[in-house]
Amino acid sequence: MTNYGLVIDQERCIGCQACAVSCKQENNVPMGQFWNRVLTEGGEKMDTPSGGYPEDGGSGSLDMQYQPTACQHCENAPCVKVCPVNATYTRDDGIVEIDYDKCIGCRYCMAACPYNARVFNWDEPEHMPEEGTGDVEARPQGVVEKCTFCSHRVEDGLDPACVVNCPADARIFGDLDDETSTVSKYINEYETDQLLEDRGTKPKTHYISGEMSPGRPQTSDKMESELDDVSPWSDGDDDVPSKEADSVGSESSSSSHSVEGGEIPYATPAKSGGDD
Amino acid sequence: MTDDGTYRRDVLKAGGAAAALGVGGSGFLQSLVESEDDQDLNASVQSFVGENEVIQTVCSPNCRGKCPIDVHVRDGQVKKIEPHPPEDEQYKRACVLGLSHTQRVYDPTRLKFPMKRADWSPDDPNPEGRGPDAEFKRVSWDEALDLVADKMQSLKADHGAESVLFHEGSGNYGQTGKSFKRLASLFGATQSAWGIDTNVGRGFNRVTGVGAFLPPTNEAEDWENANTIIVWGSDIFSSQFQMDASKILDAIENGAKLVVVDPVYTTTASKADLWLPVEPGKDVHLALAMMHTVFEDETYDEDFLQKRTTAPALIRKDTGELLKASDVFEDGGEQQVVAVEQGTNSPVALEPETGGAYALFGEFTVAGVECQTALTKLRDHVADYAPEEVAEKTGVDAENIRTAIRWLATRGPGGIAPSYALGRYKHGHIFGQAYAMLMGMTGDYGRHGNIHAHHSGGATLAAGNWASPEDADPGPSLTFPNYPDAMIDGDPHQIRAVYSIESNMMGNQFPDRQRFRDAIRSLEMYVVADMHHTDTVQHADIIFPVPHWFEQEDISSGWGSHPHLGYRHKVQEPLWETKDDYYAIQELADRLGFGDRFPETKRDMLRKLAGRDDDIDFDTLFEQGTQKKESVPIVKYTDEFPTETGRIKMYDDDAPSEEGVTFDVPRPLEDRTADDYEKADEYPLMFMQKHSRFRIHSQYEMLNWVREINPEPQLDIHPKDAKARGIGDGEYVRVYNDRGEMVVKAKYNDAFQPGLVNTDQGWWSRDFVEGHLQDLTHNEVSEVGQTMAFYDVRVAVEPAPDDVDTDKYESGNPLGAGAEAAPTGGD
Repeated sequence: MTNYGLVIDQERCIGCQACAVSCKQENNVPMGQFWNRVLTEGGEKMDTPSGGYPEDGGSGSLDMQYQPTACQHCENAPCVKVCPVNATYTRDDGIVEIDYDKCIGCRYCMAACPYNARVFNWDEPEHMPEEGTGDVEARPQGVVEKCTFCSHRVEDGLDPACVVNCPADARIFGDLDDETSTVSKYINEYETDQLLEDRGTKPKTHYISGEMSPGRPQTSDKMESELDDVSPWSDGDDDVPSKEADSVGSESSSSSHSVEGGEIPYATPAKSGGDD
Repeated sequence: MTDDGTYRRDVLKAGGAAAALGVGGSGFLQSLVESEDDQDLNASVQSFVGENEVIQTVCSPNCRGKCPIDVHVRDGQVKKIEPHPPEDEQYKRACVLGLSHTQRVYDPTRLKFPMKRADWSPDDPNPEGRGPDAEFKRVSWDEALDLVADKMQSLKADHGAESVLFHEGSGNYGQTGKSFKRLASLFGATQSAWGIDTNVGRGFNRVTGVGAFLPPTNEAEDWENANTIIVWGSDIFSSQFQMDASKILDAIENGAKLVVVDPVYTTTASKADLWLPVEPGKDVHLALAMMHTVFEDETYDEDFLQKRTTAPALIRKDTGELLKASDVFEDGGEQQVVAVEQGTNSPVALEPETGGAYALFGEFTVAGVECQTALTKLRDHVADYAPEEVAEKTGVDAENIRTAIRWLATRGPGGIAPSYALGRYKHGHIFGQAYAMLMGMTGDYGRHGNIHAHHSGGATLAAGNWASPEDADPGPSLTFPNYPDAMIDGDPHQIRAVYSIESNMMGNQFPDRQRFRDAIRSLEMYVVADMHHTDTVQHADIIFPVPHWFEQEDISSGWGSHPHLGYRHKVQEPLWETKDDYYAIQELADRLGFGDRFPETKRDMLRKLAGRDDDIDFDTLFEQGTQKKESVPIVKYTDEFPTETGRIKMYDDDAPSEEGVTFDVPRPLEDRTADDYEKADEYPLMFMQKHSRFRIHSQYEMLNWVREINPEPQLDIHPKDAKARGIGDGEYVRVYNDRGEMVVKAKYNDAFQPGLVNTDQGWWSRDFVEGHLQDLTHNEVSEVGQTMAFYDVRVAVEPAPDDVDTDKYESGNPLGAGAEAAPTGGD
């Protein structure tokens, strides 16, 4: 079986927002909504650190990291369970998707999702340019929408837009059931976290932190499974390093980056919140 | 404009206008969907994958990226942008801004028609009519061009051609500027000379013979070979280099140590192995302490110093000049310097690129003259700068200073990657001199893994003398900081008219904005060509509307951070009545009598220029979209240095001086960052204007997607500084000094050093609640640096007055300030 998942290397992520914006562009996401947000783990606001500025000239306690957050495509997805009309469902390839024709806009799924990954079209969706962008049709007013792992691209053998457009090579997409895939190898080789693991949602998005990975060093927009060479590295030299390899960055914190207790760091204010 | 000559009443409503223009349309829809079964997989989502026409072109601002991109067009409308790997695929790149052209192409701020200020005429310019309330009247291209050409001719007849200034900014990296300069040269106009970001390179150049803006550095593909990278005053992961972020990340993943020197805990600092939180303006002190450490540890690269630098060269104690071979040997050269052999103490004339057992330290008497080596002089000079001695002044822990430079000196090849920020302090050129010498001590030139600047130079089209043909009699040049004096006071000569392309400088990006406003008001004619209705355009008398980059073909070259040239193919025909700058230049040339000096079409011109560069084939470039310029060396500084001695200068006996300080060796000199600066109490906070990831200078300000993330100008301020002034997080503040003020929202940010505040640059007037960040900056430059010192600025901050109108940001409008329509006039 195919079981798509995503690895995000937070050591590589530079918080540039290319994934957040190219997601909106590709998926025709309405103004005021984000399917994919680049959250800051650090201070209370975007691009601010936690800790205090060093007064002694040392490196101090400041700390900041980025956590791109979208639908985690959970194996045990609470949104799927609560949907009264089966509009949200898990596809055979593991992608959690919404049938917008079935969605009745009850937003139970939004309440159930601990990742704040879903948005609701309270108003008539607004697009700029108004004819819309990207490669999928816009969704109507009154439905919930969210990240699809760019299923429309995946079906054509292309990686999701956020993966292809990441200048830091920090996002890797692939088949978690294929143990030779890069996502499987990275999860095996590196310390990875899932967000809110204690909720039992079994997210299929895994976050690397602590030791940096080589990321997604391929220039093609194709999925790894579509490449002639199964390894994304043509010369093989850069293959996944072993843990014994000389590790830089070992001085940086290796503390857990999972989001605890349902707290999600800074979220870009959405135009339409669930505040009715 | 539609084919029947009618105009859409509205400002641009997205692609509707493009469709009305007959551009594209459904004619080129191609369905590549293999079967209906595929679609069924995705029952409720209509996919358009494979239905787009994809046009390869290049993004072209002054960010160094020069990113080759694919533009997806469907139904006659741009739908999305994706990076397109260039010929050498490892340079695939793009950033959040380049990916968002889909919105920029159709933004309401785009200019549509040639315009004339309603109350301007060539004989009665009515200068007071310029500014925020100016009204514009639509004119035809012919009328606009006639007005400009006639006025240029009459100014030339009455006051000389140099009374007209051709000002070129950095807003469009193509070949048009060369034709703009060509016309300026033929006409004899004054030409603009750069006065921004030329500081650090100037100092580096004094040492190595190269460097103008930043010095050359190994191409990005080589950075993964660095073992230590000291990023100095650059948020390299947010600005300019972000499209190549993977290259530094790969170096880190390979085992490199990343050191960041910055008063701000930036995104880059958050990735560092070691962060040195230097106080603003104390970078030279820090560099000298690093030199001190290298001497103390004796970790300097002896072979390199002997072979490629003047470290062993003798300095005469009597005159302070370098001892010359002609002082010692009968047939010795007058430029050649002299060293002594270790042991024998016999003098040797130093040749470039020639090693030997020359004494690096010591005092010697040669030909009856008492001398010491240049390296001895430097060691003595930095003796006072032990890390402990500068720790308090620089704000950096002494042991961390040592650790940083020890990594560079002992872990193999590496480098120092400064940005332009250091040159935004008045005397920033001294840092350029200091780190060039420091890297000479560690031997970090000419090797794989060496880094000398935070982006490389990439490939440039060698177009020869196109900009200044042999038979032309070019006028004088005028550096940016000297504009106001020339326009207002006629010093050094009176500028009466300006023709400006590719620039939002005079109205938005130059410091001391009110002074530049006065300068504009002194002109008889101000012609501005632009893509958008910027603040600068609002001050114009004649407006030439320029198409979006996707509507002009060009060759992207110069200051690209990868070794390719790119062909900027047209994605669509120019919207409305916009026309390529080349059209206006050529039409003006025709009216001024130089029409035969410009090829008829832009493509002819591009083909001609490409033909001048032996390393490029026009047809290959045109067809491939990118062509790697193989002659661009990946590793720099492998040959003799272009100095008098062919060596890096570790001592400069012909050094410039300013304010009583001579730069024979790097000597710290500060302006407003100095502890005893006279107005430090009145304006206690240093004010910088960081480049953010959300704009390139003032470009992309209008992107609605980006404005959702970064809606309005803010003042980054340490909570301690804010609380001491009664300022709450998110409250509006008045930032002021003796030049002006602005009102922006305070953002508590622990990343900022207490005593330092910041507003990211590039916002337009319309984005501020009151004033503008350039109302606070000044236009004073150093004699040697001649570079605008944007960060060498002090301000005071207080809560904003209660009556400021902040509605535009508090009405919950996710689009921020909202896009105001450009003047459409006429319809």
